[in-house]
Amino acid sequence: MASSPEALTAGRAIERPAVGRVVRKWLRIAGYIAPAATLYVVFIIVPVVQAVHYSFYNWSGLGPLSEYIGLGNYREAFGDPAFRQAMEHNGILVALSLGLQLPLSLGVALMLNRPLKGRSVLRLIFFTPYILSEAITAIVFLQILQPGGLLDAFLKAIGLGSLVHLWLADLSLVFYTLFVVITWKYIGFAIILFLAGLQGIPPELHEAAAIDGATSWKQLRYITIPMLGPTIRIWAFLSIIGSIQLFDLVWIMTLGGPAGSSSTMATYMVDQGINSLRVGYATTVAVILFGICFVFSTLYQIFVLRRDVSGSSSRMAG
Amino acid sequence: MAAPRRSRVAPFSNAPVYAIAIALSAVVIVPIVYVALGGFRTNGQLANDPVGLPHPWIGHNYVNVLTSSGFWRQVGNSVIIAAIATLLVVTVSSLAAYPLSRFQFRGREAMYTFFTFGLLFPIAVAALPLYLLLRQLHLDESWLGVALPEAAFGIPITIIILRPFMRNVPGDLEDAAAIDGCTSFGFFWRVLLPLSRPALTTVIILSVITSWNNFIVPLLVLTEPNHWTLPLGAANYSTEHSADTAGVLAFTTLSIIPALVFFLFAERRIVGGLSGAVKG
Amino acid sequence: MRFRKLLVLVAVLAAATTVLATAAGVAAPKQKTKSVTLVWWHNANQGAGLALWNAVAKEFHAKHPNVTVKPVAFQNEVLQNTRIPIALQSNNPPDVFQNWGGGSLVDQVKAGKVEDLTPYVKSWIKSLGGSVAGWQVNGKQYAIPYSVGVVGFWYNKDLFKQAGVTSTPKTWPQFMAAIAKLKQAGITPIAVGGRDRWPDAFYWDYLATKVCSKATMQQSAVSYNFSDPCWLKAGQLVDQLLKAQPFQAGFLATPAQQGATSSAGLLANGKAAMELQGHWNPGVMQPLTADNTIPSFLGWFPFPNVPGGKAAPNSLLGGGDGFSCSWKAPEPECAQFLQYISSLSVQRRIGSTNFGLPVAKGSESSVKDPNLKSVLAARSSSPFIQLYLDIAFSRAIGQELDNATADQFAGKATPAQVVSRIAAAAKKK
Repeated sequence: MASSPEALTAGRAIERPAVGRVVRKWLRIAGYIAPAATLYVVFIIVPVVQAVHYSFYNWSGLGPLSEYIGLGNYREAFGDPAFRQAMEHNGILVALSLGLQLPLSLGVALMLNRPLKGRSVLRLIFFTPYILSEAITAIVFLQILQPGGLLDAFLKAIGLGSLVHLWLADLSLVFYTLFVVITWKYIGFAIILFLAGLQGIPPELHEAAAIDGATSWKQLRYITIPMLGPTIRIWAFLSIIGSIQLFDLVWIMTLGGPAGSSSTMATYMVDQGINSLRVGYATTVAVILFGICFVFSTLYQIFVLRRDVSGSSSRMAG
Repeated sequence: MAAPRRSRVAPFSNAPVYAIAIALSAVVIVPIVYVALGGFRTNGQLANDPVGLPHPWIGHNYVNVLTSSGFWRQVGNSVIIAAIATLLVVTVSSLAAYPLSRFQFRGREAMYTFFTFGLLFPIAVAALPLYLLLRQLHLDESWLGVALPEAAFGIPITIIILRPFMRNVPGDLEDAAAIDGCTSFGFFWRVLLPLSRPALTTVIILSVITSWNNFIVPLLVLTEPNHWTLPLGAANYSTEHSADTAGVLAFTTLSIIPALVFFLFAERRIVGGLSGAVKG
Repeated sequence: MRFRKLLVLVAVLAAATTVLATAAGVAAPKQKTKSVTLVWWHNANQGAGLALWNAVAKEFHAKHPNVTVKPVAFQNEVLQNTRIPIALQSNNPPDVFQNWGGGSLVDQVKAGKVEDLTPYVKSWIKSLGGSVAGWQVNGKQYAIPYSVGVVGFWYNKDLFKQAGVTSTPKTWPQFMAAIAKLKQAGITPIAVGGRDRWPDAFYWDYLATKVCSKATMQQSAVSYNFSDPCWLKAGQLVDQLLKAQPFQAGFLATPAQQGATSSAGLLANGKAAMELQGHWNPGVMQPLTADNTIPSFLGWFPFPNVPGGKAAPNSLLGGGDGFSCSWKAPEPECAQFLQYISSLSVQRRIGSTNFGLPVAKGSESSVKDPNLKSVLAARSSSPFIQLYLDIAFSRAIGQELDNATADQFAGKATPAQVVSRIAAAAKKK
């Protein structure tokens, strides 16, 4: 590694052949990036490209890829009401996550950022569900939500027996039941993220504002939230991607049912594709899913995240 | 990272805050406690009254799981796979995050974006080609066969977290290191990595948890029950013993514990690590 | 006992062929020195089945020292939906693997993934009787069944008595009348595992089997032509059943087999009077009871005949389990292994441990459980056994059948829509 910062080598660099320096620079960059790139290309990009290739075929996963059907699978997916219903569910999930999980997790984070006794215990409690696997979460909530289960018993005990419902069997309710479970499982991540962001806000800002007579509400509105902006934008990005790809928890709890009333694009993919041995069609749905995520993330990077990322301080030009 | 003092918060306002905090944490914790208690009941108790407390308390569900060699072998497999995957992903990602955060070169942003694509593709789709690839490489039925794809799928988020952190290390330090005769790798190894410790701890925690909970990769790669990881074991246990609800609850509770203990030790660090990532 | 969720296939049990069972023992090993390993994927991952298959692997090795059998047990859905399809696509498939016959077997044969066993099994296949027909494609044998059962109503004799239902219903109107009586007595007439969808499809399958002629059923499984009005009629009868609201509260989210609140658990614990299920149901129910025994109130009766239906009376719906050899398997060792599984010694143990309903002639007497005996009697006397339609059809069409009937159960599809959706899925094929 015969390299030293450009600031120092600039003088000597003139003596060296420029081509050698350029080659050396690229070799060094390549040396750092190559291990990650190899792993990433071999185990993600190659299989994914192969999967995209399958999406143009009517293929059961057995035998040779012989029945090329062009965009036939894509036409079928967009024409299928069940797929449109699944897309709609993903859309509702995105809206609910942003509209309900954001204020809730922000509120809890603000609360935990105060000098409460037992704060670290509370932090651990709120983060625990995030550590659990989806499979375990599903086992836990299937127990609780079954007819006559813990939730029903609790409602009856506090005199709200009239609120007892068929939480997972009612077609108009099941999706919202799942949303509550999803919130339970993933909100810890948002809370931890916001706590981290809150700790990055210099206390002097609040102190100065307090001296100027700003109420807590005004401090929240004009200091805390704007300072948390980058954190919120990153969380929103991860949350939206996660909502679009949601699979495990729904699959284990309801298989997307009853009658597709809790389906997502990913459960549709497994149901109509993989389990039906229509591998070509399954990868088509996956490609559509990827396309939606891709378009969204590109737009998001351009319009929302750009300002957070600019202003890097790279010195080592190599 | 210690939380800053907020002396301006009046003490009396804490009472309702505690009430809310306790109510919310009850919502979070009751399901888990319910499952843990369920493990101390018999199936008959569970069937007759899904909600009651253990009466009498039965220890044998837990004892059965703890004395089965399968459970401990699965814990061992999970630990080893999580360790390999985490070591791999953190090593290669921090190496890659270094030039992506601190070098000036053409195509840097394109390269970064390329790595972030990995977030956008659901793993279930690539399952079939991935499996065929692993068999060709003779990696099926091996720890490495699980750890390598897991590491690969962890690269995007790891680089995303590490890059801003590394970028924020002041350039002066780099200049000083160069004056002391540090090479670029020397700077990376002796200055950048130690300074990025909060971020590294964070990605280690995320990687361990992700690997620990991963289901689909081990499902594809490992067929021999002796090679199974804990989630495979748990899923199999809950179908094999679908009737034994109490046993499933005990197994579930016990398989939560290792992740919880690990997190307990690591928790203090994760907050500091993430704050670097999200400040950009 | 292995719980098959998605079952398997069967087919025509030919009426009595009276050929005497040829030697069910194993042919003497050929004097070959090459030693081979048979990797064997099966779904008996617990209980009697697991113990039996492990023993069978050892016994076969003892008889054929040059052949080592390596059994690997999988959870059923994982095996059927993930492992086998993917392994068959790779260059390193298992040598012996579970096969449920029907449309999936046809697809595997078309893709050249399974070995044609006909030349190896000619000498002894007749000992298995007519049930082997379900594992043939174009007259060639591609898998060998070891257990074949039929679907019927498991019921609670005490609850029937309590509701004043004195004899088990023989016809559809009697069946509907029994439901009305049970409801009047405040008893949930039927438990169904709607979450898993295939239990819903059993009703549609069975009513089609009763109202369509055998010729229509057999021809539709090949041509996927559903224009015969009997298919619509089957859906209308399902509607009639749904209108009577015979199922437990929340049946759309009830699993079929998992836990005490599954449909099997409800029947086992006296919370419902009937369940339409396969021959494996007692094994599913037993551990779901508080005292881990098959309830003494349990009885079995075949699906009632539908007056005016074109099927021969006592036509049944059923399926079974078998094993195939993959195209890479060493022959004749693999076929010899299947022959050993078909031997009386193994078949009798399948029956005596309640692991399945054996198919080899002469093994029937090994079944001791009175309810399983009635299942076996129904199987033997039936003129026609239709394979579960979701297995008989090619996989994609079978899945659409399950989904469409589940939608009908949820009030989201009409009988006409069910038929047209299945036909549409067949067109994509």
